[in-house]
Amino acid sequence: MRIILTLLQKDFARLVRDKAALSLTFIVPFALIYLFGQVFGVNRTDTGPSGIPLAVVNESDNPAAAKLLAALQGEKAFFVVTKFVNPDKSMRPLTETDLRPMMKANNFRFALVIPRDLIRDDEFGLHLKILSNPRNEIETQTVHGILQKTIFANVPQLLGQSLQARAKKTLGSPKLAAFNSSIAGTVAKTFGGDPAAIQRDLERGDFGLGDADDGTPAPAGGQRGADFFAQLVKIDNEQVIGRDVKAPAATHIVGGWAMQFLLFAVSASAAALFHEKEHGLFQRLLSAPATRAHILWSKFLYGVLLGLVQLVVLFAAGRILYGIDVEHHLPFLMLVCVFAAAACTAFGMLLAAVSPSPEAARGLATFCILIMSAVGGAWFPVSFMPEFIQRISKLTLVYWSMEGFDQVLWANASFIELLPTLGILGGITAAVMAVAVWRFNRGPLFD
Amino acid sequence: MLLIQDVIKRYGPITALDGVSLEVKPGEFFGLLGPNGAGKSTLMSLVAGLRSPDAGRLTLNGRPLSATDPAARAGLGLVPQSIALYEELSAEQNLRTFGALYGLRGADLRARIDEALAAVQLTDRRRDQVKTFSGGMQRRLNLVAALLHRPQLLLCDEPTGIDPQSRNAIFELLEARVRAGLTVIYSTHYMEEATRLCSRIGIIDHGKIHALGTLDELLMRLPFEEEIRFPAGPDTAPLLARLAGQGELTTLDGTHRFHPRADYRLSAFFTQTESLGLPARLFTSQRPTLEALFLHLTGRTLRE
Ligand SMILES: Nc1ncnc2c1ncn2[C@@H]1O[C@H](COP(=O)(O)OP(=O)(O)O)[C@@H](O)[C@H]1O
Ligand SMILES: [Mg+2]
Repeated sequence: MRIILTLLQKDFARLVRDKAALSLTFIVPFALIYLFGQVFGVNRTDTGPSGIPLAVVNESDNPAAAKLLAALQGEKAFFVVTKFVNPDKSMRPLTETDLRPMMKANNFRFALVIPRDLIRDDEFGLHLKILSNPRNEIETQTVHGILQKTIFANVPQLLGQSLQARAKKTLGSPKLAAFNSSIAGTVAKTFGGDPAAIQRDLERGDFGLGDADDGTPAPAGGQRGADFFAQLVKIDNEQVIGRDVKAPAATHIVGGWAMQFLLFAVSASAAALFHEKEHGLFQRLLSAPATRAHILWSKFLYGVLLGLVQLVVLFAAGRILYGIDVEHHLPFLMLVCVFAAAACTAFGMLLAAVSPSPEAARGLATFCILIMSAVGGAWFPVSFMPEFIQRISKLTLVYWSMEGFDQVLWANASFIELLPTLGILGGITAAVMAVAVWRFNRGPLFD
Repeated sequence: MLLIQDVIKRYGPITALDGVSLEVKPGEFFGLLGPNGAGKSTLMSLVAGLRSPDAGRLTLNGRPLSATDPAARAGLGLVPQSIALYEELSAEQNLRTFGALYGLRGADLRARIDEALAAVQLTDRRRDQVKTFSGGMQRRLNLVAALLHRPQLLLCDEPTGIDPQSRNAIFELLEARVRAGLTVIYSTHYMEEATRLCSRIGIIDHGKIHALGTLDELLMRLPFEEEIRFPAGPDTAPLLARLAGQGELTTLDGTHRFHPRADYRLSAFFTQTESLGLPARLFTSQRPTLEALFLHLTGRTLRE
């Protein structure tokens, strides 16, 4: 142990005297967290254009269409474009013919056309046209999802109209009038109200479910102005976990960035083993009472401590820049950091153990770290990935480290809940180190 | 003190040491002379316990040396061929680290560091990073770092490097330590270094010891090719008659060249010249060198 501590002390003394390494440890993580935060718009407070650009062409004179447009404009996820800017800076409403060239010119990638025949009598539902130039599946899904939600939530009246139009076509006007009248009568009898007014509403497609804006009293039990869906399906939305988390976006992602940075830092320090070998330092150490095991374990300890320091700096940056709540989770966070740093260090040592040269180690490290970060969820959430990749994710230390950070910072997990994650990280560390030590003993490093 | 018996060491297909045997006695300054790739560093690494031989035995004071027994090499110091220092650290920090590995600490360690730095004239640079040192200064520190724990046997693997700058300082330090009882094994490919320093020399090439002995013993192994030259003239004419029959005599450009017979004793030659009243400065002789011996033994030159 004395020998390991001597070697460890030596490595820290080297770090302290190496300005470049020091700034890499303390300043660069800060800068990186700041930059990433800007790029990804974590906690953005500025009011500039945000949201996905969505062009909307409204050809319909149906008042509900205007309402739909207003609803889309009120939707945070979209930045709605309705005007075409002429070369002389004057503006006119967009037309459908404008859309395709503008999409080709990348002015926007999604467009919604509300056609004149918004409601047809030959089919139930609304006739809308969406043009898209999808860049990725997730964005497309997101855009479609929000569009549907906005349409259904804000203009259920359109669906009523559609229903009426369809009924008129199949039943014929007299029969539909009789049907409407009998329904209105029943509603008036049961809930009270003026049968003539109710029949008028029905004919306009207003079933009293939605946002009718004339003065018709809603039927009893039907809440005026309520969300159509909220009435069809009553959803009590309860966020079970992370309700009180102060900086939700940052909390989820800082762990991922931290892991990626840590992996690079730690594998660089493992590649430095080659430097010591080339300078004959291992000869000196090994001819002294030190053994290979002493050298390797001192390097491992050094890596873990350095990694720990780095994670602390990274989370401190997250705390200062984005207000992540670190202080209330400090003991468990440190615990996860120790295990994450240990797993990263083991990984770095394995790379050094299997590589014939420092260049090879660096190349291999870059490759493995990028793959592992992407697959492990450091870039975007694993839950967005295909099933088989999600399964591979669970083999990466990045995944389990992020899981640990999330458990602590997001889910406020107890020690018992944390144990399996720590166990897996510990297991990864032990297995990887075992292979690394075995390889070191036959590899070129000590030869 | 150190006994090496029939040691073989291979790196894959390369046989770096091919049956090396030698003994180094206490207080010797033993030279290992051979060109690059001869196997010098490999032999050093086996003695230092960095590697294990494929065959053969190495013992230090009767105790087997092995890569897995650090205690057996406690009395041993290695000066690696490369400058094995942490260049980000100061001279002092380097020495402290290496001393601590040997279990030295506190006032004792500090005193030894002071002494070591003084011995190689680095006291005033003790707090400077090693990377700011000149090559020669680094060589000196590299040497003295192996002496902190006061080993009985010091292995110096080409300790002067290619940098002649600090050669004399290193030579003087080593000679002083040997006078004080240190045993040294010194590898080099410079015959001048071996000639100046070593009490006994092993000539190594292709993993084999080709010759072993004191400088004189080794030179005796050369076919006697000594040649004595002196100017032709009336003073020296009487000498020619006396040398007749003792060897081969040729004259070229006013200079006589005398190649004595193998059993001819140089002392006889000088008895003759003295009796003729000829001053010694008239005579020059060409002594054989280790370089010539190496060429004779291996058919190669040391610089190859
Ligand atoms: N680690 C190694 N792996 C493979 N071959 C080696 C290694 N070290 C030395 N050799 C080979 O062994 C031979 C002896 O090398 P070495 O002991 O370094 O000679 P020297 O120190 O006399 O220059 C050389 O042919 C060299 O190429
Ligand atoms: Mg060598």
